[in-house]
Amino acid sequence: MSNFIRTIVVIAYLVCASGSTYASLKLPETIRVDPAALTSEPACDPKIPPAWRDAQVIDGVEIEADPSCSPDNPAWIAVAVKGTNNVSMDTLMQTHFSPDAIIKTDDLDGDGDPDRIVIKLEVMELNGKSPDFPGQVPTFDIAPGVQPGAWVFAPKTSGMSTENFESVRANPLIRLPSPVIRVEQGDIVQIVLENTHYLPHSIHLHGVDHPFHHELNGNDGVPQTSEMELMPGERRIYQFQARETGTMFYHCHVQTHTHLSMGLAGMIVVEENKPNNWLQTLNIGAGRVRHRSAAIKENFDREYDLHYHSMDKELGDIIKEYNDPRLTARDMNRRYQINNATEDYFTLNGLSFPYSLRESLIVVDLDEKIKLRLLNSGSESIAIHTHGHHATITHYDGVEHNPIAQIMRDVFDLAPAQRLDLKLETIDDGRHSYGAGDWLIHDHREKGITTNGMAEGGSMSSIVYTSYLGENGLPNTSHFGVNLDNFYTKEYWERKVPIWQNLDEAATFGAAAGRTINLDAATRNSLYYALGGLLAGLLLYLIFIVRNHIKQCAVAVISRIRSKKEGGKE
Amino acid sequence: MNAKFKIIFLLAATLPFCLDAVAQQQTTLDEHDQHAQHDQHTQHDQHEHSEHDHHSGHDMSAGNNDTAAHEHKEHSIDAATHQETQTQDHVHEGHSIDAESHEHASEHAGHAGGPTDHGDMHHHHHVDDSHIMDHEGTMIMGQNLDKLPSGCKSVSEEVEITVRAGRKYAERFPGTVFAFDQQQWHVKPCSKVTFHFTNEDNIRHQFMMHGLPKYLYQYGMFHLEVTGPKTVSGTIIVPGSDDTLLVHCDIAQHMEKGMKAQLVIGKGGQDIPSIPGLTPYNISDVYEAEDLPKISASENKEDKSKVVREITKSLTSSDTQNYLILLLGALAGVFSIPLFRKIIPGKKTVDKSEE
Repeated sequence: MSNFIRTIVVIAYLVCASGSTYASLKLPETIRVDPAALTSEPACDPKIPPAWRDAQVIDGVEIEADPSCSPDNPAWIAVAVKGTNNVSMDTLMQTHFSPDAIIKTDDLDGDGDPDRIVIKLEVMELNGKSPDFPGQVPTFDIAPGVQPGAWVFAPKTSGMSTENFESVRANPLIRLPSPVIRVEQGDIVQIVLENTHYLPHSIHLHGVDHPFHHELNGNDGVPQTSEMELMPGERRIYQFQARETGTMFYHCHVQTHTHLSMGLAGMIVVEENKPNNWLQTLNIGAGRVRHRSAAIKENFDREYDLHYHSMDKELGDIIKEYNDPRLTARDMNRRYQINNATEDYFTLNGLSFPYSLRESLIVVDLDEKIKLRLLNSGSESIAIHTHGHHATITHYDGVEHNPIAQIMRDVFDLAPAQRLDLKLETIDDGRHSYGAGDWLIHDHREKGITTNGMAEGGSMSSIVYTSYLGENGLPNTSHFGVNLDNFYTKEYWERKVPIWQNLDEAATFGAAAGRTINLDAATRNSLYYALGGLLAGLLLYLIFIVRNHIKQCAVAVISRIRSKKEGGKE
Repeated sequence: MNAKFKIIFLLAATLPFCLDAVAQQQTTLDEHDQHAQHDQHTQHDQHEHSEHDHHSGHDMSAGNNDTAAHEHKEHSIDAATHQETQTQDHVHEGHSIDAESHEHASEHAGHAGGPTDHGDMHHHHHVDDSHIMDHEGTMIMGQNLDKLPSGCKSVSEEVEITVRAGRKYAERFPGTVFAFDQQQWHVKPCSKVTFHFTNEDNIRHQFMMHGLPKYLYQYGMFHLEVTGPKTVSGTIIVPGSDDTLLVHCDIAQHMEKGMKAQLVIGKGGQDIPSIPGLTPYNISDVYEAEDLPKISASENKEDKSKVVREITKSLTSSDTQNYLILLLGALAGVFSIPLFRKIIPGKKTVDKSEE
């Protein structure tokens, strides 16, 4: 018996020791993660044809060049400028737009551009749960392998929600952020919300001149004042004719504390009324405006829409956890505590570094004037820092600041929901600009440059001069010896890559190996099984030894019952 | 000892309740089936009715001419009225769909009423003639009017199926938001089936079928899409062998939230999972009972003891827990076999143990 127990103890010790430390004079080896072991992806999305970067004319719509790595599909821009009702069928078919997504008609003031604009928006879910398989559908990565659960306003699309029949990736029109809407001052605009989502939503036009309309349930999107939540499967029209111009904001006002953070928020710009002013009604994915309004063309060389957003991982995880909308609603509405929440994802135009380099670079040349429109739809203030530049704040929340009092800064505070219009002048005078370069632009709250706590991620991007732009549309970092490859692997964001391992040949900051007895997995497993078997045997043996005792107990019980029964009979 | 027995008795007592619960689930399922059948009947009636009423329904198959493509430049915001006037002018020209199919389409396209019909359709430039879309995004893709699948010598029968889609059809399936009016349709192999897809919501919905033979249907798909309230119709010839095909709406989360069904050809093949009321989910959510406020007076009327009620309430809240209790009960049963044996046959065994 005692021998038997000793054997067990020895085996148990071996098994445990294989996973624990032992004393040694030498410290463990350095491990350098082999790049070949990583799921790497190309820095530039190979699905996007380089020809999309060129300046071109489609259906008479002039589209500026966009040298960046993932420019918008030029057909999107042509459709957004002409409207789905005016553009050629050929062009429309190169997009996923529904043929009634943007309807432009009636030149009411006779100045050569349409003044009745109908924009149809749907509500789409990204990275949601499926009851059929363990993954998410349709997927959208804000960085390699990083897929927060999100909701977006998407232009009304046609056909599948995924890229194609075999893919689970969302079709390119269904993405973060909700699209930038551009309308002209004085246009009669109808935003038609078709609630394709499984929860109630609405639209609030923050900052846009819109009447509190009696027939249209207030027209303000707020369930606590005038308007019932728009239920799944229903449609509602929001109508306005803006008298004031400016960079504004639209978002869902149903359970705003969660719905806004989930992504139901976008930029809306009211442009000055000018003759022949055909606007790019939607800027998918924000960023570079490749068909600018007449007024911006007169005063600036380039224009960029920069939409900053933040998301809480725990909030987004709710839609990954439940398929039943009642449970999603329960956790979102009653269990999620925003007062105890923290932000985890920080995005610029829906993406985090390094994807932000693909399509949200601010590409400039010397001696240019660039219009930047900034929106913060996150739940905390942000502080955007422009390396190498001071820019001038021209507008706060869409309203022009007194030109004499306008100030230059290199850190721009944006409170939640706030908008700033900046004039960036690339004059190499030591104040406006320090000269050409690849200058970072980032949120200076340090967590703003992380993705779920992992740096360098977040909403970081660059102001890059064309002389520092590589042929693929990414900043040319290689001649500085800078290699961004690790950022394009999902393992980096899973915290599995020692980020400094390649700083020197010796891998001084590689990973330290663990200290274990070198047992291969198979041997360890068989040892575990042996131990398990022995324990089971021991248990049976014990039961066998005390069997008589058990029997006696049982008999005692039975006899007591019987005596009770007999007692009852008597 | 007494305590142990209490537990065993309580467990034994919960068993009947568990069985009750299972039985109840089964009966509700049966009810669903009956409902479904009932719906089928009523729809059939409606269908016939509408045939009589809507002889003037517009043809919704299409024209592929360029004039049609440019026509919608003139569309104003109220497209519906505008469309009606145009509908007559721009159909049929140079179209490959045969005459018989035109008759079918024109007879039955009028389900949802005149103004919701479709004209002004154009061809997709990149796909074959079977991809048709109009200016509102109403779409027919993968239609097949005359190509017989291999294994079919002729069309076995011609059937028409009206499919309704909308949020209201999800009401009988708790935990879903969108649904079709029926969750499965039966057709004979080689039959020519015309689907009249009526979307009763004010958003887009799709009737998308997968798994058709790829030599006849691109990606093996047949697809109807329409923004409601409106009807679109399309025809296919189903394969000659028994099979079960997935039908769903591919708009993000619509299938997941209930808009899923199956087309059973002949005896059918393997069932598609997670169809509301029909097949179980591959991955189920975990449900826990909530402590919600309620009127307490009605509770006191029940004569079950409070303890038993508490136990059954907390334990029957999910299926897995049900099974766990079944297992516990079974174990308790197995362990108590020796006891029963001792009680019933009498002293034989007792003597042995005393040795």
